[in-house]
Amino acid sequence: MRELELYFGPQHLGMVGNFSITLSVEGDKIVNAASNPGYLHRGFEKLMEYRTWSQNFPLVCRINVIEPDSMEMVYAMAVEKLANIEVPERAEFIRSIYLELARIGSHLFGLWAYANMLGFDTVAQWAMYHRDIILDLFEELTGARVYHIYINPGGVRRDFPKGFKEKIVKTLHSIGGCVPDYNNTFFENRLFYERAHRIGAISQEEAIKYGAVGQPLRATGIAHDIRKVEPYAVYDKVEFDVPIRENGDAHSRILIVRDEMIESVHMIFKLLDMMPEGEVWNRTPNPFKWNIPEGECYVRVESSRGELGLYLVSDGGDKPYRAHFRTPSYTHGLVILEKVLRGANISDVGNIMISLYVIAPEIDR
Amino acid sequence: MNKELLTEILATFKKTQGYIEKDNRLFIETKKEIVPALLKYFKDKSFDRLAMVSCVDRINENKLEIIYILTSFCLDNPLNIILKIKISRNEPELDTVIPIFENAEPYEREIHELFGVDFIGHPRLTPLFLEREYEIPPFRKDFDMRKYSEELFDSVPFVGDEK
Repeated sequence: MRELELYFGPQHLGMVGNFSITLSVEGDKIVNAASNPGYLHRGFEKLMEYRTWSQNFPLVCRINVIEPDSMEMVYAMAVEKLANIEVPERAEFIRSIYLELARIGSHLFGLWAYANMLGFDTVAQWAMYHRDIILDLFEELTGARVYHIYINPGGVRRDFPKGFKEKIVKTLHSIGGCVPDYNNTFFENRLFYERAHRIGAISQEEAIKYGAVGQPLRATGIAHDIRKVEPYAVYDKVEFDVPIRENGDAHSRILIVRDEMIESVHMIFKLLDMMPEGEVWNRTPNPFKWNIPEGECYVRVESSRGELGLYLVSDGGDKPYRAHFRTPSYTHGLVILEKVLRGANISDVGNIMISLYVIAPEIDR
Repeated sequence: MNKELLTEILATFKKTQGYIEKDNRLFIETKKEIVPALLKYFKDKSFDRLAMVSCVDRINENKLEIIYILTSFCLDNPLNIILKIKISRNEPELDTVIPIFENAEPYEREIHELFGVDFIGHPRLTPLFLEREYEIPPFRKDFDMRKYSEELFDSVPFVGDEK
């Protein structure tokens, strides 16, 4: 049979985001796949070298569109480590709650993309609605819906407004109340099982070999989570489980997304109960005269898609000397996706890509 | 446990310095010839995950610094190994580490494109993000981003300055 070249994306109905894959196909079967990023390359890491430590916050959060908060967190942590700044305990609690809310919001967005791609439009609309009411919470807390710029070195920008705790509880209850509906229509639906079972499967050895993180790794049975391995904020003070599955396919990965959302909701309730009173920000120097001592550090957090790292170098000046983000989608989109697509069917490309949770702006940076 | 690891590394490999920071970061500086052997050694010691490969342009020393960061999948050791080497800035050449860690492939491609480092033995050093060729690789320190954008897009005058 004749081998054809097929361009999947960036303008393709099955493609979410500015990303493309060049496929070599024989009939319906994929012989070879080459990821083709770069449609969204804005050179943020270079731009950061021209801006002061504080001016960089509006840049870092734009690296990831659907979950900007973990980006803020990892950058703030790196600056705090280089400049030796302590964070008040209440601010650490607020950060954890804020990051878990962001994780739920991000997972709901991912669920929207996945359900939409499979044709479960109703579930997709529910997920989008529920993400929206989480964005309402963010709007009340930070004044912005998508890019919040809320975490500052030394704490957070402002304390919870009056009655905000009750609002979080109310919102999460209304989302949690819909979990049975989600289960009936989507997660326990035979159609979802048939469509996702054994699609894009990777074994545990392959996951280790290719350096998978997040859901693709946990779907193969390894409970690796930075919140447990190297706790930051207050994740060492609260109890939570790391959901794992064994099959390593799209079905397991999406079920892990659901389990993580439920786990996050429980964690937020526990954190709200434990929250102490106090200051939320330790003053940092004047941002225009703020020089950070020479040094370098590697910090990492668990974003909604896996390990997010930042290698930050300072030369003693008021701007970063070099910043390099290790984003989870980078390995997933450029290494694992290519390997998994080989031998798959054309109709499964979107399924595999979205279940690997590949976010294009994060790859290009 | 980590201190013993460091002593063993320094005894096994010549021309290598290292120290441990308090929050589980092991910094090692070495020469570029030793890198493949050292990475294999760490892989056998269950640090089998390459988190990232990065590059820093040390323009004052006329060197490029390549950084390999390794972690472990085992849950009880949060140690991060940060392995640093310096290579010549004028003729940057380095052996690829793809035979040891397969996921180094896009990182090396990126460093080739943005810093101009040649990785010997890399199967495809094709452009990853950029669409045109540059005389100076754009992430090097002597590439002036502001001057470049003014030349490419023309500078826009402030309102009232048009005359």
